[in-house]
Amino acid sequence: MLKTRIIPTLLYRDFGLVKGVGFDSRRAIGNPLQAIKVYEMRGVDELIFLDVRATLEGRGPDFALIDDLADECFMPLTVGGGVRGVDDVRGLLRVGADKVAINTGLIECPGLVRDAADQFGSQCIVASIDVRRRADGAVTVWTRSGTNDTGRDLVEVAVEAERDGAGEILVTSADADGTLGGYDLESIGRVACAVGIPVIASGGAGTSEHFVEALGAGASAVAAAAMFHFTEQTPLEGRRHIGAAGYPVRR
Amino acid sequence: MARVAVVDYGLCNVDSVLRALSQCGAQAYLAHDATDIKTADKIVLPGVGAFDAAMAELTRADLISPLADAVLAEQVPFLGICLGMQLLARSSEEGGAAGGLDWFDAHVRRIQPGIDERVPHVGWNEVDHDESSPILAGIPTRTDFYFVHSYHLECSEPDEVIATTPFAGRVTAVVGRGTVFGVQFHPEKSQQFGLRLLANFLAVTA
Amino acid sequence: MAMTTESSPRTIRYCRTCVMPETKPDILFDDDQVCSACRNFASREDVDWDIRKRQLLEIVERYRSHDNTRHDCIVPVSGGKDSHFQLIRLLELGLNPLCVTATTDHLTDIGRRNIENMKSLGVDYIEITTNPVVRRTLNRVALEQVGDISWPEHVSIFTSPVREAVNRRIPLLVWGENPQHEYGGPATASSDQTLTRRWLEEFGGLLGLRVSDLVGRDGIEARHLLEYTYPSDTQLRDVGVTGIFLGYFLPWDGWANAMLASAHGFESWPTVIEGSLVTYENLDNAQTGIHDYFKFLKYGFGRATDLACMQVRRDRISRADAVKLVKMHDGKFPWTYLGVEIEAVLGPIGMTLDEFQSVCDRFTNKRLFVCDRHGVPVRDRDGDLVKVNDDNPD
Repeated sequence: MLKTRIIPTLLYRDFGLVKGVGFDSRRAIGNPLQAIKVYEMRGVDELIFLDVRATLEGRGPDFALIDDLADECFMPLTVGGGVRGVDDVRGLLRVGADKVAINTGLIECPGLVRDAADQFGSQCIVASIDVRRRADGAVTVWTRSGTNDTGRDLVEVAVEAERDGAGEILVTSADADGTLGGYDLESIGRVACAVGIPVIASGGAGTSEHFVEALGAGASAVAAAAMFHFTEQTPLEGRRHIGAAGYPVRR
Repeated sequence: MARVAVVDYGLCNVDSVLRALSQCGAQAYLAHDATDIKTADKIVLPGVGAFDAAMAELTRADLISPLADAVLAEQVPFLGICLGMQLLARSSEEGGAAGGLDWFDAHVRRIQPGIDERVPHVGWNEVDHDESSPILAGIPTRTDFYFVHSYHLECSEPDEVIATTPFAGRVTAVVGRGTVFGVQFHPEKSQQFGLRLLANFLAVTA
Repeated sequence: MAMTTESSPRTIRYCRTCVMPETKPDILFDDDQVCSACRNFASREDVDWDIRKRQLLEIVERYRSHDNTRHDCIVPVSGGKDSHFQLIRLLELGLNPLCVTATTDHLTDIGRRNIENMKSLGVDYIEITTNPVVRRTLNRVALEQVGDISWPEHVSIFTSPVREAVNRRIPLLVWGENPQHEYGGPATASSDQTLTRRWLEEFGGLLGLRVSDLVGRDGIEARHLLEYTYPSDTQLRDVGVTGIFLGYFLPWDGWANAMLASAHGFESWPTVIEGSLVTYENLDNAQTGIHDYFKFLKYGFGRATDLACMQVRRDRISRADAVKLVKMHDGKFPWTYLGVEIEAVLGPIGMTLDEFQSVCDRFTNKRLFVCDRHGVPVRDRDGDLVKVNDDNPD
């Protein structure tokens, strides 16, 4: 049986890894290489690495950085941040990414997902969609590290991404991010029902029970950042917990 | 130390494959042309991406004949990884135009997921085999490997299917005939048992 | 297979009041670009030390042995200036502490002399030395895997005293300074005060790594790691193990501690220690030079920066002087530490200088340093790396 994946997420900004609450990522937490090696020693399922300021700072992916990190990373690695053209995708795959996440590019670079999927195959392309609840209660898609409200509906953007050839959807609640209070289950559920490709839940995980909730809502995999950085919980414990809840996991 | 040519046709991450092979004690290098292929003790064809684009690149780089000579005529041990395995087929449903290397009587089709399954098939899944093949020596059946693909290889010769994985019913996980092997999953990303498989491949002789 | 990057070098921001760079893990700069450590230090002015003293006495009274059947508390010590200070204060309070030292892997002669001196203050003392052969393997693996040669030592410093607390049923551990300054320790919590595994992960600075992760590497087996095994939560609860940081209850100053310690026979180094600005700390382990150097490679600051910040906050030196001193002493390649040559430190852990250099390269955060057009960090005349900027541009 296909095993459920638990995916630690590393957020990078300026000089190192960061973590924050609600996408306000100002707290430096350490050295990316160190974090990667620790996860690798634990045999995690996959890693997601996001350069959270690339688009805001008007630059593309930092290939040299990813090259260095990928050299140390013997696990499946998804890299995102600042991907706006097919060359960015090619460059990242070339230096060591297995999959490339496209976030702001989904909205601002029409045709990118289609072109990249045609060239490199759907399985390399992860459509990364951040959502926030607006003051009026509507949940919309936000880009540029959660600073720009596109006004668009989550499901509409997800379905479009799938149609264009994305292989997976990463749904992140910018509001829940870093709160350790649980995922935005409603958003995850809506997307999981609307698409036929795997959905990765992200933003808000604080306990392994949150993983079970997200899987119950239809996610195929669960991502977490703050939970692994700031609590004593490890991905392996998460695996045991969801295994006990009946989901297939790696031994 | 075996010289292992890793065919680089510009479509994907070859670094991981190079590193993994080096970790297993091979002298791995990137192969771009016929000479690179001719001087290899073993050949690895990695691949991620679209079937047509891959065949077009291999054609453009004039690698198809040298590969066929080395692998089929001179029986240089060969390992295709992921798309590299699918290219062994005669043809693919993906894209449309190009044929494959046609070294196996097989066809590449899009995966038809079962209820509650999603495509691409991405993540860790079990590889089931009867433990008779040298390429899987020391790897217990039902060991998990990392898969990420939307298409799968359907072989006409059941003897050439060494292992399968339970997804969409069953999909082909490992094929082999003589010294030619293909794996659908990514051994270079499958940690300890992935490295074991590569080590097994390095031990294959003509 | 590096590709050229279009990103121009970022400028490192430094705190406007001290000289700590923004790259230090867990630090926060406020809107005035003043760091959280400076803010915390400033808030010490509002602390009522009498209240804190009373809290300390209360806690100590609650956990001491009232029938002299056991020691009143366990004090994890190293023989350093802070250990001397802690014991002096606890003895003044009339306590009967048990000192527990987890021996460093490369104990220096001066380190040993200071331990003996500390004992002469009048305390019971036990020393736990883990299997040195295993320790050296652990140190090498830790250096290669997480870029921290001192990680195993760090684990044992936290673990051995807690194991003793459980074994001897002594509930209170008295640590010295807490890196976060404003935290008193689990004994100050209003509800459950027991030390737990979770607490260790959060406050122990273990980088998310556990000793059990190392089993299977380089011949390390589970049975080699008994002394590194943290007691279970059940064992901790059974004894009610808890702890305090003395630095929360008493105004803490390393320099003043050193003076007090010296007056009681503590020995300092004759000259400023390599990579540092002082003579009176980190005297017990020749591997410390490597530890500090890696901090510099990863985050752009070393021990000199730490010390300069502490003294600037206390108005003992100006910020301008701090910048200068840091430039002079921080981040130098650790050719020697306390006079011990680097080869003498690397040899026992089975690493050559070349191997060491490549581990350094892997953990160097290149964004912090001036690099040539191939992305390779440039070195100055002395072979040291050069930061992209040593202070704020304005």
